[in-house]
Amino acid sequence: MSHMGSSAEAVLHSLHTALLVLDADGRVTVTNPPAAHILDEPEDAIVGRSIWDWFPDVPRGELALARTLREGVRCRGVEQVLTRRDGTRIPIGLSCGPLPGASGTPPGAVVTFQELSGIRRLQRQMLQAEKLASVGQLAAGVAHEINNPMGFIHANLFQIEEYWDELRRVWAAVGPLRKAALAGEPEQARAAAEHLEALARDTDVEFLLEDVVKAVRESQEGAERIRHIVQDLRSFADHGGDELMPADVNACLDSIARIVGPAMKHAVVLRKEYGDLPSIRCRPSQLKQVFMNLLVNAHQAVEERVRATGGQGTIELRTETAPGEVRVRILDDGVGLAPGVVDRIFEPFFTTRPVGEAMGLGLSTSYHIVRAHGGTIRAAPRPEGGCEVEVCLPADGPESEASA
Amino acid sequence: MDDEERILAALERTLRREGYRLLRARSGDEALRLLDAEPVDAILSDHKMPGPSGLELLERAAARWPGTARILISGWPEEIAADRMRALGIHALVPKPWDARQLRATLREVLGGR
Repeated sequence: MSHMGSSAEAVLHSLHTALLVLDADGRVTVTNPPAAHILDEPEDAIVGRSIWDWFPDVPRGELALARTLREGVRCRGVEQVLTRRDGTRIPIGLSCGPLPGASGTPPGAVVTFQELSGIRRLQRQMLQAEKLASVGQLAAGVAHEINNPMGFIHANLFQIEEYWDELRRVWAAVGPLRKAALAGEPEQARAAAEHLEALARDTDVEFLLEDVVKAVRESQEGAERIRHIVQDLRSFADHGGDELMPADVNACLDSIARIVGPAMKHAVVLRKEYGDLPSIRCRPSQLKQVFMNLLVNAHQAVEERVRATGGQGTIELRTETAPGEVRVRILDDGVGLAPGVVDRIFEPFFTTRPVGEAMGLGLSTSYHIVRAHGGTIRAAPRPEGGCEVEVCLPADGPESEASA
Repeated sequence: MDDEERILAALERTLRREGYRLLRARSGDEALRLLDAEPVDAILSDHKMPGPSGLELLERAAARWPGTARILISGWPEEIAADRMRALGIHALVPKPWDARQLRATLREVLGGR
């Protein structure tokens, strides 16, 4: 930094951003402590080196930096991987601009950069947080859906116990009758039989015997319903579902509809029109997360409209095949989309909900998941009011194995 | 009243020996039609329902048939504000799942020898 003024030097040292000044050949003439920290080398070892040393596996022409040096073009926030001297690879975000050369010398460049590992980790954590938030919404639906069968199983079990006590009292009256009959005492047998008959009539044994069967059957059915809910829930929470595998999109959509549908039923009629779909290569757990987000959004829109106008709303789930792809459409008759919102709803942190109610990550997460599947997602207002969201997924799955 | 057939069946089991005549309704609208056709002594209604909620049904019933005892069943009784209950003149709040003995006692108490 010999040829710099001391105040400029002080500025560079207190800067939090890593900085390199390059001459026309790409040699470092100035650096600062944050750059030394990221490159993991002392500052004086960096000065004089060629910038290309840190990008050994990138063809020179492809580096944005090369264009800055060659053509004086600025670039901002380019993601790149740099390789340290010890071979560790660090993702960075890099910006650069041309630096006019002093009197007649060719122009160099100023490069600023920051480490992206932290940001990447943050992005991953945000995706996880978003998933947890939708699990929270899911839990509310699940609690409601489990509570109903729980309610009648609980009451039926209590009732079966009461029936059992009554039947046992009747059975106790059979003993004396049997004893009298075996002993050949007709008078006593007759008295015992009359007592038994009166008891059986009072207890309504016929009814109890029939109703026990019904109560048991209904309770079994309730237990079966709870079993299905738990299965649906597990397949949603399962990390295994993050793997690419052939799956039935109708089944993914329906498992979410079964879980969240009941919690919506006071405001919404859910209509399902599922077409015959081929199974597609996808990450089922992620698709479920998308459907969950879309369904919860549709429900909120309908609920808001119903609060204002009364009545009930409708959400339609439609699936169909088209050449090479599978289409899922979710249509609601909720409050719809305000002008200017349509273009922004897939942006991270964009939300129309009050602060604290939503993170605004549901749709942007959905967008990323669908894009990672090689598909498309779009939202549009419906002419009759409400909103339509369409998700198209390629039948043969994403081209690369890259994870979302 | 409950939109779940199985809940209605279980409630009927719980109350079978209590000597009441039980009428079933699967929605608030159906319940209101039943009430129009004949007066009842008590309404036992689930809260979360398609169409008008249990609270709304009981509110309407309170206005038109003030002499009817009104009982709300809810899986989340703590979500229903006590002042709202009082304002709507709801006589009792029963949790779901319900305790059979408690529900029978509540009904007897609310009906007070009717």
